[in-house]
Amino acid sequence: MTDIAIRTQGLVKTYGKTRGLAGLALEVQTGEVYGFLGPNGAGKTTTIRLLLDLIRPTSGSAQVLGIDPQVEGVALRARTGYLAGDFLVDGRQTGRQLLTYLGNLRGGVSKDRIGALAERLDLDLDRKIKGLSRGNRQKIGVVQAFMHDPELLILDEPTSGLDPFLQQEFAKMAREATADGRTVFMSSHIMSEVQQVADRVGIIREGKLVTVERVEDLRERSMRKVVIQFAAPVPAEEFASVPGVRDLTIDGAVLRCRLDGMADTLVKAAARHTVVTLSIEEADLEELFFHHYANHGEAGDAA
Amino acid sequence: MLRDPLTKWLWDGRRSLLGWALAVVVLGAGYAAFWPTIDSPAMRDALANYPEALLEALNYTDIATPDGYLSATVYGLVVAILLLVYGIGAGARTIAGDEEAGTLDLVLAHPVSRLRVALQRFGALVISIVLLNLALLVSLLAISGPVGLDGITLGEYAAMHTHLVLFAALFAAVSYGVGAAFGSRAAAIAAGAAVAFLGYLANGVLPQVDGLEWTRNLSPFHWLTGGNPLRNGIQAGDLLIMLGLIVLLVVLGTWRFERRDVAV
Repeated sequence: MTDIAIRTQGLVKTYGKTRGLAGLALEVQTGEVYGFLGPNGAGKTTTIRLLLDLIRPTSGSAQVLGIDPQVEGVALRARTGYLAGDFLVDGRQTGRQLLTYLGNLRGGVSKDRIGALAERLDLDLDRKIKGLSRGNRQKIGVVQAFMHDPELLILDEPTSGLDPFLQQEFAKMAREATADGRTVFMSSHIMSEVQQVADRVGIIREGKLVTVERVEDLRERSMRKVVIQFAAPVPAEEFASVPGVRDLTIDGAVLRCRLDGMADTLVKAAARHTVVTLSIEEADLEELFFHHYANHGEAGDAA
Repeated sequence: MLRDPLTKWLWDGRRSLLGWALAVVVLGAGYAAFWPTIDSPAMRDALANYPEALLEALNYTDIATPDGYLSATVYGLVVAILLLVYGIGAGARTIAGDEEAGTLDLVLAHPVSRLRVALQRFGALVISIVLLNLALLVSLLAISGPVGLDGITLGEYAAMHTHLVLFAALFAAVSYGVGAAFGSRAAAIAAGAAVAFLGYLANGVLPQVDGLEWTRNLSPFHWLTGGNPLRNGIQAGDLLIMLGLIVLLVVLGTWRFERRDVAV
């Protein structure tokens, strides 16, 4: 048992002349939810398929659960669950038939376990898959990825096509998995999709890891929008010097600013006056993410 | 069922297989049912007046005997072509078709090796060819009495079907091998069709040209009925050539499949 669930070093994958990955170094810890973020074409799917030995790297190495996928792929895949964003299967079978077959490839998964997961996701297992909506088809994918309680879940844009309720349920299932000490590695091109689940996010761009951040740190660092309405006009200089306050404007009795970091000093400063309403809008990680990303991108382009 | 890639392949193909069995039985037994019209003095006179070269090109030189008739029409032509089309289509679907549909990923993300998936599926394909042969054999045995196709022993039928199974499996191996190696369903089907077309030319047409008689020996159609297994029993040389080629194609295709990237 190691503390690192996934480690890649200098992973390069080229397709003809185009580069899929350009020296990717990843480190995913056991028991965390790792959000793997990047725009379409950044190399997320390529990375995931390398981890499962569906494709082979041009150079570099990967260790998944302490195993080299190219050497012991079968043993590795017995301990992982995989879900593609576009869950494609032959539609001329029912969900139950497919899940029974896939369970048998893993040495058998109990009917009760499959039934319980299907019920949790409100999935009808006895209908032909081709008659299911995209969301319902994706649910079958979720069931097959989770049903054998794998040590490592590798999920490629898993919640695309799921409605918000199911995204919530999915997030809960991912959390439960990590509560048991299991690891979740999920990719997405939308920050909001992973921010509610992920412990850390890694951002990939043009086949390279740009940055890795704790979601909590991101949230703390990110600016919140603050609007305070006072009973009477307040002097600007009292608030301009408060640590963390940016873009301060005072329009009569209404104060607007962005807040970076703790709210404590600002709240105490405001408390010296009569506060009518106070609103602090939660950080928009999406915005921050793209801000961050864009900066790194420029640096990368310049280099 | 649904236990492993082999049973799953057969289960997934069950409806298609039933359709093919129906086609093989209807066309195979249907042709056999025309035997009484050939086995008549008028027809024999008519055939005697045909140019020898045409009869040879059509493989009709021996057509006035029960085994000659079945070899030339049912085993050598109609069912041969049906089964080679089935073999090529099923062989292309086994890896390349599944891969192009994007559905191969899921199975390969499970704890099964590519080798196991590929070989079990090809095994299932061979089993399906055997099942189609059994359907034909049973239907021919059933009508041979009523239409007077007699004088062929069960052993001779078995020999003919052994040749036919390997013949169809050979075409399946061509498209399976090319599909597994390159992941392209179109290439797999094109390869199978090319072998069928050239094989047909080499057996029936090219030997009409002086100096090109030898091409017959390179044709799967010749390996199928050239030695007339319905009369002479198993032709070990022909069977070994087909078996050898099947093994070679399966090994090469699978070897390449294990080493290449699986397409999304």
